[in-house]
Amino acid sequence: MKRLLRDPVALAALIFVIAIIAAAVLAPWITSGDPYDNDLGAAMAPPDADHWFGADDQGRDLVVRLIYGLRLTLAMGGISVAVGGGIGAAIGLAAAFYKPLDGALMRMMDVLLSFPAILFGLAIAAIFGPGVTAVILALAVATIPLAARITRGAAAVEMGRDYIEAARAVGMKDGRLIWRHLLPNCVSALAVWATLRFGQVILLGSALSFLGLGAQPPTAELGAMASQGRGFLFFAPHIAVVPSVMIFLIVLAFNVLGDLLRDTLDPRLRA
Amino acid sequence: MLRHAAQRLLLAVPVLIGVLAVGFLLMQVVPTDPAIVRAGPMATQDIVQAIRVQLGLDQPLIVQFGLYLLRLAHGDLGRSIINNIPVAQELASTIGPTLELMAASLIWSIPLGIALGTVAAVARGTLLDRCVMLVSVAGVSVPVFFVGMLLIWFVGFRWGLLPFTGRGGPIWSLAGLRSLILPAFTLGGVFVGPVARMTRTAVLDVLDADYVRTARAKGLPAFIVITRHALRNALIPIATFVGLQIGFLLGGAVVTETIFSWPGIGRLAVGAILSNDFPMAQGTILVLSGGFILINLCVDLLYAVLDPRVRT
Repeated sequence: MKRLLRDPVALAALIFVIAIIAAAVLAPWITSGDPYDNDLGAAMAPPDADHWFGADDQGRDLVVRLIYGLRLTLAMGGISVAVGGGIGAAIGLAAAFYKPLDGALMRMMDVLLSFPAILFGLAIAAIFGPGVTAVILALAVATIPLAARITRGAAAVEMGRDYIEAARAVGMKDGRLIWRHLLPNCVSALAVWATLRFGQVILLGSALSFLGLGAQPPTAELGAMASQGRGFLFFAPHIAVVPSVMIFLIVLAFNVLGDLLRDTLDPRLRA
Repeated sequence: MLRHAAQRLLLAVPVLIGVLAVGFLLMQVVPTDPAIVRAGPMATQDIVQAIRVQLGLDQPLIVQFGLYLLRLAHGDLGRSIINNIPVAQELASTIGPTLELMAASLIWSIPLGIALGTVAAVARGTLLDRCVMLVSVAGVSVPVFFVGMLLIWFVGFRWGLLPFTGRGGPIWSLAGLRSLILPAFTLGGVFVGPVARMTRTAVLDVLDADYVRTARAKGLPAFIVITRHALRNALIPIATFVGLQIGFLLGGAVVTETIFSWPGIGRLAVGAILSNDFPMAQGTILVLSGGFILINLCVDLLYAVLDPRVRT
């Protein structure tokens, strides 16, 4: 924590992350308009005093849309990391705790891992049709094997420690032992991983939305907004640039924070 | 070596069958009836039924899967629901441009990434190291479509230097080469960062090794120590990493192809999915997954060639 406060880049990243989360949560209270309210008179208006970031092709204010877009984009990322991470962590814990399951479970994870997230995105969008749900599902599935590996790695180390033996000796049940003792000791490794993964998931999710496989226009979602702006790139570049820069900054902030957390845990890599 | 290869090959077979089966079954649960899509909104019930029979959609699932595998064995992936063009033909014409794009992106981004990463590792802890790492973290964080749009906007549109839509022709023609530059720059751009980061870690790992200290102690110039002794050993993890990251690159390729209207398989896949062209979508997903299994296999084998310790 001290290191974090001393590093100006990391501190900026932390403040930014807190700010965007606050903005996303408080969206209806800090904005005055509706993200779908159009005002054709202001269509494609460049940034000015009325519209700080300009307006899109329907004259919708980009500040308002950006804040609502943040909401959906962050929720999408959060849900997929939480769901994929949760399932993956359970598999990883099971593999580390029940040795006979280890081989089979981890081979299955290897198979999942051998396909890139974009393929899950394409396949799932093909089956269920494009949409936010399809993107969340694809990202969650792509996240499971990664979480399983990280958790298994951390849990396998813990399994060799005395406290596991001690808990077993006093007759503690498996479920309680895993939940109360094994899992809490893997949480720090998982937290670092989840921070980095969140950034990647946002990037992947926005790419899927950009392709038209995720949130559909006119939904205020950052990737979909960038995709919508692509059509007006030559007359009103701000429509595409504003959401794209936001995605870049979010992912950058999470990557910087994740790297710092990881370096703190593994000082060997410290710059 | 041969045993290792055979083992890997055997492992890939069930995965491939799994991909085929999952791909087929997934297409069965699609909410839209391909016969209705094919027939169009004005078709009568009789026409829809006739098309259903023609497409074999009235058969039991298992029979359909058998027929499907049989057709696959003959290289028949069905026809596009939208324009009736054979899927295989469409796929064959898009694989080339995609491979071209990926090769053109890797050819400059890997050497640059390795160079940047090595510099950062050698200059560990200095301002230079921090700058390289910051640039590479930015490279990992930037959306591919943003890089692409910026290049289109400035280089393509404002300055009018290079074409930015479609493929001008085969790679050996000037027009083809010119149209490849911006897409390859976009796609390669997002690859430099990860390679640089991995290289830095790998080089840092070997810089502390005894043989590097020995090489230094016997008075070899620093450049030779780094390139001949350190980097060569660091290349093993780097090569593996690059191989595994080809997947990541493919994701970028799909987006890059879409932005630049590059006639590759990624753009074909997205277009097919958005227009509910199931045979085409399934064909592209099948080819992409198959490509993946092949790439992973090659990486495994390459790893064994590079690192003799794996062979035993």
